[in-house]
Amino acid sequence: MSDRVSSGSERLNDMLGGGLPGNGINLIIGLPGSGKTILAQQYAFHNATPERPAIYLSTVSEPLEKILRYGQTLSFFDQRAVGTAVYYEDLGGTVNDEGLPGVLERISGFLKERRPGMIIIDSFKALHPYARRDEDFRRFLHELAGRLSAFPVTSFWVGEYGHDEIPGSAEFAVADSILSLSVERAAGGREYRVFQVLKLRGSGFLTGKHAYRLSDDGVQFFPRLADPVDQAPYVLENIKISSGIRILDEMLGQGYWPGASTLVAGPSGSGKTLMGLHFIFEGARSGEPGVIATLQENAAQLERIVNGFGWSLDEDGIELMYRTPVDLYLDEWVHELLERVEATGARRIVIDSLGDLRVASTDETRFREYVYSLLQRCSRQGVSVMMTQEVGDLFGVTRLSEFGISHISDNVVLLQFLRGESRVKRGITVMKTRASAHDAQIREFEITADGFVVGDHFAADQDLV
Amino acid sequence: MTAAIYSIGAVARMLGVPTATLRTWEERYGVVMPDRSPGGHRLYTRDHVEQLRFVLRSIEGGMQPADAHRLLTDRLSNDPDRDISGGGSETRLVIMLAERDPHAAELAEYFLRTEGYETFLALEAREAEAVFEERSPHLAVVDLLISGGAGPDLCRTFRERGALVLAISPLESRDEALEYGADAFLQKPLDPLQLVSTVKDLLGQSAFLRTEVLLP
Repeated sequence: MSDRVSSGSERLNDMLGGGLPGNGINLIIGLPGSGKTILAQQYAFHNATPERPAIYLSTVSEPLEKILRYGQTLSFFDQRAVGTAVYYEDLGGTVNDEGLPGVLERISGFLKERRPGMIIIDSFKALHPYARRDEDFRRFLHELAGRLSAFPVTSFWVGEYGHDEIPGSAEFAVADSILSLSVERAAGGREYRVFQVLKLRGSGFLTGKHAYRLSDDGVQFFPRLADPVDQAPYVLENIKISSGIRILDEMLGQGYWPGASTLVAGPSGSGKTLMGLHFIFEGARSGEPGVIATLQENAAQLERIVNGFGWSLDEDGIELMYRTPVDLYLDEWVHELLERVEATGARRIVIDSLGDLRVASTDETRFREYVYSLLQRCSRQGVSVMMTQEVGDLFGVTRLSEFGISHISDNVVLLQFLRGESRVKRGITVMKTRASAHDAQIREFEITADGFVVGDHFAADQDLV
Repeated sequence: MTAAIYSIGAVARMLGVPTATLRTWEERYGVVMPDRSPGGHRLYTRDHVEQLRFVLRSIEGGMQPADAHRLLTDRLSNDPDRDISGGGSETRLVIMLAERDPHAAELAEYFLRTEGYETFLALEAREAEAVFEERSPHLAVVDLLISGGAGPDLCRTFRERGALVLAISPLESRDEALEYGADAFLQKPLDPLQLVSTVKDLLGQSAFLRTEVLLP
């Protein structure tokens, strides 16, 4: 088996089962502006050496000057490598003057003269009109594939193909791999860049749709979180951890199990964020660092809130990860979260809130898979997760969550507004604890300068609604 | 003493090539470029004639004109003072390529010629046997899958007749190749440097060095 060709992106390599198989023919497809040329150049600059250079051949689509002008703005574009390890050549004149046979001759010439490790043809699709008949193009493909296969060279054919062209275009049958870059539209006019591996000979790969972004660093990938079922046993600690609220710990049977997931559901203003803060600051002060992953308040807003309860975001063991829900990519967010957890050695996470994340997801089933994979991954590492979820009903909660997350959470705590004795009261209930008994009564609580103060359960004569 | 110069007509007669062909090569490849007289006539030097002889020999050996000029450029750029007159086929190391894939054969032949070896090509097994009989190569490069799998027999036959054998295949067949009597094995696609260095290892030294040693 040939060596793998690295893209320079560890995540992309992982999705491709370690990288593209070497010496193959690879198609990069997508509509204009999807990042095909950038990705191809990433491969070129990452792999090219003076001994085994990369040759970038532009055809009759985008002028070579333009490719170079925009290329040099990218961080991986090494000007010193141009002309020594990465060669840019224009095939436009050849294909105009000599047609497809001329293209074959020039490529043969490059193989002999430059002995490249990589050849990129951009745009490959633009060569189609130079074949008078379909069979002429097939003959050209056969010849080209034959020449490229006779030499240890990895090639990329870049083209503005849509998925609907795959069954009818011969190049897709010839290719060893097909990488697709596209844009999908979701409700509210949001657009998501989507990467897919449509074909990869001789290797497994991560199926499905993955997010990507274009930046000065090139194409950045965020593989969908879809952990396979891992049957390997793992050991969780058997000493429970505190929620940061003493009475709640008692209701839970002396706190949460380490590595457990907890859903805190309640209407707006019921105290969900504060419960998360108790959980995080309790951890930080007892040697369990935590990440506050919020899409609600920015650092200044949250600092003011936590100061009101005698905490500070500057305390040791507190990591704030704020992202605006505007233009949020769920895949990108979850990768950043996992990196923060690893970098800080966090043992606790608060996600505030699930509803904001759900808006960033194009598909409800995928959202559930995402949360499930994230919770499983955290559980195996002994990282405890608390998630807040807003419920629509201000009084008389009838549904816990809209996305089935309560089903996959180990613990569910419900915060409610209740009416009784001609006033609004706050009630807290432990609805579910996995692998432990709990107090199922509704207890009254108040929010004071010390945070949550949980009192007794409501008496039978309080006539609550 | 003034060095001799030749007209295009004289060069055409010396080499047996039409003048139109010489003009086409000059315009298309721009490698052998005679000076012009004040009246616009081409003035060929002895070096030009030798360079054109080199091109002709390469073409007679099966190369395309473009490749022959590319090879000449390569040789001149590596060592402009190198004598490219050659020593005659009887003094050069001869390699036969028994390769079923014409594209792979073209590339391998090019890279070996670049190193100064004389090459002959056969695309199927019977042709390979005939070429072997006729040319008695020092080394045979044999694709094990030639003619539907006749490579092992060719390896045995050529080895028994005293030639060195380099077996090649797209499949990982190291052990099999050695069992068939091959001296070495390379997996395809062939890396040019690997091919040349393996051939050099088998033959002892480069063809150019051997040529210099063999020539008086």
